[in-house]
Amino acid sequence: MPSFSQLPIGIRTTIVTLTWFPVLYTFTNHIYQPFQINGMSMSPTFNPNTSNTSKDIVLVQKFNVKKPGSLNKGDIILFHSPLDPEKLVTKRIQGMQGETINTQSPPYPRPEARIPRNHLWVEGDNAFHSIDSNSFGAISQALVVGKVIGVIWPLARFGVDLS
Amino acid sequence: MVLPESLKFIGSTLSWTLRAGCLAHLIHEYVYEFTETRGESMLPTLQAQNDYVHAFKKHRLGRDLNIGDCIVAIKPSDPEHRVCKRITGMPGDMILVDPSSSSPLTNSHNECISNDGFNKYIRVPEGHVWVTGDNLCHSLDSRSYSVLPMALIRGKIVAANSLNKGFRNPETGKFWFWNLRWIENSFVSEKI
Repeated sequence: MPSFSQLPIGIRTTIVTLTWFPVLYTFTNHIYQPFQINGMSMSPTFNPNTSNTSKDIVLVQKFNVKKPGSLNKGDIILFHSPLDPEKLVTKRIQGMQGETINTQSPPYPRPEARIPRNHLWVEGDNAFHSIDSNSFGAISQALVVGKVIGVIWPLARFGVDLS
Repeated sequence: MVLPESLKFIGSTLSWTLRAGCLAHLIHEYVYEFTETRGESMLPTLQAQNDYVHAFKKHRLGRDLNIGDCIVAIKPSDPEHRVCKRITGMPGDMILVDPSSSSPLTNSHNECISNDGFNKYIRVPEGHVWVTGDNLCHSLDSRSYSVLPMALIRGKIVAANSLNKGFRNPETGKFWFWNLRWIENSFVSEKI
């Protein structure tokens, strides 16, 4: 069997490149990841255009998002939809644990909701086209995947104010 | 500029450590995990101490799971803790929450009134499961934190070891590999 250094240079480069994939994957899982926004529930903050179908790409921070107290009201978060575990959605935090929220009723069954421990109340900026906490209630902070820190594409809207 | 051999060696060692570490982490996250469990909530399936479980991670996010399966999940009321429970209700199932906590046989009159909310049926919503510990008397589960979003499920428990039990069974002298046992689906469908 030939040793590694006897293999053709092309195959050697390919193998060494492949060994970096776990590092890249771990980086996007736990540190930062670009993420494309679908849909109009966060318009006009994301995907403001109605004339074309261009989709914003945002940078998502993956570390320090599950610890209690690591998120603030007004942050835009990426989380697993409680109704469909395979789906990731972006919404804005409108209430923290312990607060009492005035809900949109309907669809929420009661006019007020108290947020349980380590849960968040999330809503889309575009209330008319958003399935959010008014439909599925407060979400556990454990569902949070990351915090959106800025738009990176299209370049014209790079670093636009998200608050 | 030419780096001295020693610096090159340190650099390549660190870089291979990083790559191997990340690979191990991904396997741990997506393929297989072996971890310690503690607590009385899964007695008699799992011991309260010294038990380690083998979990398959392809079942994370509730993929391909069924009623009766044992799972590891993140606790909804505390993202820094994990729980190990058994699925006792799938999306769409009707669940009677906990009639015993408002039964006059074991509770005072006032407790019956304050726990009245437990004696009712709920329907498990889409994308959620109902989980309980095998030791119902000493388990914090869906009866208190309600339905568990499937996205919090990290894996399915397929086997367990008791690391305080030794390589051989002290009574029979046979190999039992630290009491390795399969953890199987305990659901029995009642024939009507």
